[in-house]
Amino acid sequence: MKRRQFFKTAGGATFLASAGLMNQTSTFPAFLMDLYALGEEANLSKVEARYYKKHPDREIECTLCPRFCKLGDKERGYCGVRENIGGTYYTLVYGKACSIALDPIEKKPLFHYLPKSSALSIATAGCNVNCKFCQNWEISQVRPEQIQNYDFPPGAVVKTAKKYRCAVIAYTYTEPVVFYEYMYDTSLEARKKGVRTAVITGGHINPEPMEDLTKVVDAIKIDLKAFSQDFYTKYVRGELQPVLDAIKIVHKSSAWLELVYLVIPNLNDSSDEIRKMCQWIVKEIGPDVPVHFSKFVPMYLVKNLPPTPVSTLEKVHKIALEEGIRYVYIGNVPGHSAESTYCPNCKKIVIERRGYSIGKIALKGGKCKYCDNPIPGIWI
Amino acid sequence: MTGPIDITWKEEYFLIVMASKVVLIRGKGVLTGGGDIDQKKLLSMYNRGIQILMDNQNPKDSLRLIFKNSDRLGIKINTIAGRKLSSRPEVSYSLASLLQDGGIQPKNIIIWDRTNRELREAGYRLNLNRGGIKVIGTDTKGFGYDSQLTSYLNIGSLFSSIQSNKITASISLAILKDHGMAGVTAGMKNYFGAVHNPNKYHDFNCNPFVAELFETKFIKQKHKLSILDSLIVQYHRGPSYHARWAEKYEALIFSLDPVAADYVGWQVIEKLRAKKGLASLKEEKRAPVYLKTAEKMGLGKASPEEIKIIEEDV
Ligand code: SF4
Repeated sequence: MKRRQFFKTAGGATFLASAGLMNQTSTFPAFLMDLYALGEEANLSKVEARYYKKHPDREIECTLCPRFCKLGDKERGYCGVRENIGGTYYTLVYGKACSIALDPIEKKPLFHYLPKSSALSIATAGCNVNCKFCQNWEISQVRPEQIQNYDFPPGAVVKTAKKYRCAVIAYTYTEPVVFYEYMYDTSLEARKKGVRTAVITGGHINPEPMEDLTKVVDAIKIDLKAFSQDFYTKYVRGELQPVLDAIKIVHKSSAWLELVYLVIPNLNDSSDEIRKMCQWIVKEIGPDVPVHFSKFVPMYLVKNLPPTPVSTLEKVHKIALEEGIRYVYIGNVPGHSAESTYCPNCKKIVIERRGYSIGKIALKGGKCKYCDNPIPGIWI
Repeated sequence: MTGPIDITWKEEYFLIVMASKVVLIRGKGVLTGGGDIDQKKLLSMYNRGIQILMDNQNPKDSLRLIFKNSDRLGIKINTIAGRKLSSRPEVSYSLASLLQDGGIQPKNIIIWDRTNRELREAGYRLNLNRGGIKVIGTDTKGFGYDSQLTSYLNIGSLFSSIQSNKITASISLAILKDHGMAGVTAGMKNYFGAVHNPNKYHDFNCNPFVAELFETKFIKQKHKLSILDSLIVQYHRGPSYHARWAEKYEALIFSLDPVAADYVGWQVIEKLRAKKGLASLKEEKRAPVYLKTAEKMGLGKASPEEIKIIEEDV
């Protein structure tokens, strides 16, 4: 394999998606060298999928996500990474990573979960929705054979995470639901070796696989893309209710949960929609789940809208606080004061952030150093 | 017809005179007992089909009405379902040879589909021969998908560079099949194989995606002729091959109107389903509603009273 292939773009996307730790650690060049040593460009995997039903005449029905794709022989699901071969359903991306990077955990974003730690971040091709504003469409909206993949089986992922002292393995960039088996087995392996795992997902998954997943992973960040089915139909091509159900399942489990809401001008930024969503959050999962409102930048198929004004982000931030959510953040606006964590009791900064850099941390045993108020999160 | 063709007249001829004629040629015995193809019969089916379609010109002149000699011509075939239910090499090559007779240079003919693997599995020998007819998948080195997205209505796709760049005119040589989601897959839906993300267009019975994809510039401006390979018709449980529901139909369907061609294909499937006692696609809630959408968009006719079907046996 030629070195330059690691910087090869997949339809324009940077293959090595993030160099977020470059300023934080000297391990980055060595990490790159290790990546160079990975196997030759990989073929597709042929590992039997989980969560599907066999029907007569070599047909199958996938029950992993709310799409319930029903497929004949040789057909692929909506996600493009699962194929019916002779009546058995296979994942084509097991152990076939298309993006591998070291990221700060804050980039996910997970703000109440092991701050300052590094995450070995992996993704395969594919996604089970088609957001018109996708930031990573060059890898999420393609079939695995249309980009470069590298053999990176679960054992190798965990070994690499250990080697580079990554506290977390993050499944991210595309939609981990579609590489469920790879993610699940890697998480089991990681647990054995004392490495934690985080899932960065749209939450478009059925209850049973989500419940099973929460038993083997440690943190889950869910993108709630709007609070209306109309938006999900037009801009996501998915369903809102299963996402809300998934959020409740994670909340009830032992996995740490955070939510992200990408605020898109005119499409999902009305005060009414934001208020209703915040009320739902407080009622169903409580006021302590961190909620991040992120700035939209024109992307993929939504290029006719401006980036979200900071004033809009501040408006939704205020609504969330008014509705009682205690940890509300503004994302993609480096240097904004709402990047930091404030103690809801004494209002002092307990974790200071600027972009992905962490300043002072004023926590002691999971409590505010100034007033002893407990701050929910996984801190060690 | 003699002498050079007046382009303005030609376009008018397309739009008004021929728009909704569909020719269905049956060739009993074209599939021999052993499953081979009677090449001679197949060629006469093609010749007759093109002749009738273009008002009984001789086949050479007929083709000249559709294509320019300078055209770089793509024949988009469908090889997704393996050897038993794909555009057979004999069917594609016969068409290519007819086109050569009609004045298209062999080096300007590309028989293609999305992957080399599927082409091979359907019995094709890949061929990048510079001087002759090419047989290639989009994943052939040097081809691939565009790097720029084509965005139009509900469509956002990277086109095969074969469709977007390498050809100036296109024939959809499609297999006529039942389809679990679309209802029917035929000439228009065949172009799902021209983009990188066809799996994203199967919601809501593929409506409006089939019509909207067809209307993108790389298809609408280049598509000239639909030919539905109906030698074997999978009338139930498609698009996969199931011998139990595959009829030896031994027909080719021709039209300049992509919507009308598919409409007639749909009726063939419904007739076969009725004959076998199966529920109609409408009853199964998977009628190809995208045809009506296509009609509304002005891409062709999907109303029986506006389609003239000419059937003939050879
Ligand atoms: S995971 Fe993929 S194949 Fe399964 S239902 Fe969802 S989109 Fe369809």
